[in-house]
Amino acid sequence: MRISAHGLGLEVPSGWEGRIRKQLLPSDATTPEAAQLRAHAVLHAANFPLLEERGDFGSGAVETMQSGHAFIALVEYHSSSVGTALFGSGVGMPRQLSTEDFSPRQLQRTIAGQAGTQRFFVEDGRAFCLYVVLGSMADRARVVPKVNAVLPAITIAAPVPPEWLEAM
Amino acid sequence: MTALDGIQAAATVLLGLLVVGLLKSHADILRQLHELGAGRTEEPRPVPVDLAVGSATGTRAHDMAGQTPDGEAAAVAVLGATHDTLLAFLSSGCLTCNGFWEALGKGGDLGLPAGMRVVAVTKGPGEESESSVAGLASPGQTVLMSTQAWSDYEVPGSPYFVHVNGSAGRVVGEGTAATWPQVVGLVTRAAGDRRTSRDGAHSRHNDGQGDRIDEELTAAGVLPGDPSLYPTSPPEIGDNE
Repeated sequence: MRISAHGLGLEVPSGWEGRIRKQLLPSDATTPEAAQLRAHAVLHAANFPLLEERGDFGSGAVETMQSGHAFIALVEYHSSSVGTALFGSGVGMPRQLSTEDFSPRQLQRTIAGQAGTQRFFVEDGRAFCLYVVLGSMADRARVVPKVNAVLPAITIAAPVPPEWLEAM
Repeated sequence: MTALDGIQAAATVLLGLLVVGLLKSHADILRQLHELGAGRTEEPRPVPVDLAVGSATGTRAHDMAGQTPDGEAAAVAVLGATHDTLLAFLSSGCLTCNGFWEALGKGGDLGLPAGMRVVAVTKGPGEESESSVAGLASPGQTVLMSTQAWSDYEVPGSPYFVHVNGSAGRVVGEGTAATWPQVVGLVTRAAGDRRTSRDGAHSRHNDGQGDRIDEELTAAGVLPGDPSLYPTSPPEIGDNE
């Protein structure tokens, strides 16, 4: 079962669900920069039911997570981020994570018992943040392999041409 | 002349019989068309079917992919889920569906068994209006637009409901209904029946072996429907011990 949109794709494994959408923005964001942000993609994958009202980094969904659950967010950043220090690792999207990568301190918002990891990278000329949350830090040895089975199933295509953005 | 009169009379009688036969045949056709609903101006009422004994009960369930009414590409997990899922196949055009959209839109306690997830499924954007569906769906309600899902579950029309047991990966009930309370009643009763049946089986065997096997297979990544569970040829008997 495959889904794709906005230059992102995901072969969704059984027991997981996924969504791909454009970035959420305040309704009053009307500047050219905001118009470009609207073209930026967000991918979510989870091995639990995804609530429909959730933020780009999973707020609204991660609060429902239990032990054994995993949430993956791939959030695109502005093209001006390409080449900056934060996105300068030069290694592309990580397709394998280790249990040592996860920590409660890397969560966007601390929730007792949970752990997360964040990686900033550039792939195919597009800047992204990969954000992964585990429902239980204590259960990470069992859940991280499940995450590692999904990460290679994510595909990233070349960026949207600027002339397309101008037409949006 | 007498012979001619006789032939004329016989022909008249034959023609009369033919006309009567044609009228009778026409009446039969009209009656059958009426029974099928032709010529009615009001919405045909769905015929309630027991969700526990639908025609495809026990068949393998399917995961679903499509898009949400606001344009997200979406895949919804049904197989391998730890919860049951009630798939509500609805459309924007059927009058009976309006009551279900309203019931689902109220949110909160829908009266279903604890932990059951409800997913409304319409046909895909090629056959359904995105804006109409978006107008009917409430914020927070999971709605998937997927013609493939209708095909996979062999949905005959809307409204139609399919109850899937996630851990078994099987359809455990399906059918249509006229009102939401009717759906709730049927699902709740079916869940009660299954619980009674399962409790009976456990009391007979009382070893929990089936549950343990399910848990171990799931932990090893072998989910319901996995091809390895259904070998096409008998295993070879080797001499390794």
